[in-house]
Amino acid sequence: MKNKIKIFRAMHDITQETLAQEMGVARQTILAIEKGKYDPSLDLAFKLARRFGVRIDELFAYGEEFPQGSKIRGGIPENRDAPHEGRTT
Amino acid sequence: MKLNTFYLLAGIIGLIEVGLFWVSVLTRESMLITGAFVVGILVIYVARGRISDRRDDERSALITQKAGARTLEIFWILFFAVSLGGLVMGFATPLGIPPPPRPFPRSPPDEPHIGYFGLLQMVLLCGMVFLYIGFRLYYARKYGEWDDDEE
Repeated sequence: MKNKIKIFRAMHDITQETLAQEMGVARQTILAIEKGKYDPSLDLAFKLARRFGVRIDELFAYGEEFPQGSKIRGGIPENRDAPHEGRTT
Repeated sequence: MKLNTFYLLAGIIGLIEVGLFWVSVLTRESMLITGAFVVGILVIYVARGRISDRRDDERSALITQKAGARTLEIFWILFFAVSLGGLVMGFATPLGIPPPPRPFPRSPPDEPHIGYFGLLQMVLLCGMVFLYIGFRLYYARKYGEWDDDEE
């Protein structure tokens, strides 16, 4: 699983230690997630996404790469759409 | 309770257990060390629950879980195999009926026959500890325990 934690962390200018303390995990856990050696639990993944103010699929991608056009601009990816807006049921 | 205090307490309990084991051997009271061991472990578990500065996160829990599961997978085979060997010795006579006692020379009555099995179990348990440590190191390395980066 790929992730953009390191990018978002740099954009928000926070260290691994600070993020780890906020998430209630060890710094090595954040490092292992960033390096792709450990896939976080859903709980931690949601916490991380919430911390950076993005959707979980903007922070993590299942498979090799993130979808096309998911570039990050100012902390909010370009292709961020609101799936529940404008939906007619 | 601080983590270091817990380690100190665990060490003291360990020393007491060794002393009680010695007393148990001298007095031939096997129940002494058996009971003391259970009480010692209970004290350690209670103390562990009161550690204030312990940080157990989901990755370390996963490492512990995987190492424990793998150790058990191998250990039960070894333990079962050794126990089967013990069973063979027990049932080596027709219908499990023991042979009549040999007239002379007989083995001395104080020979610790059952103690040998305990000794073998201790060897296996020590082996299990080493196995667990090995698996723990393996999974810790796999999940980036000693990785470092520019920070």
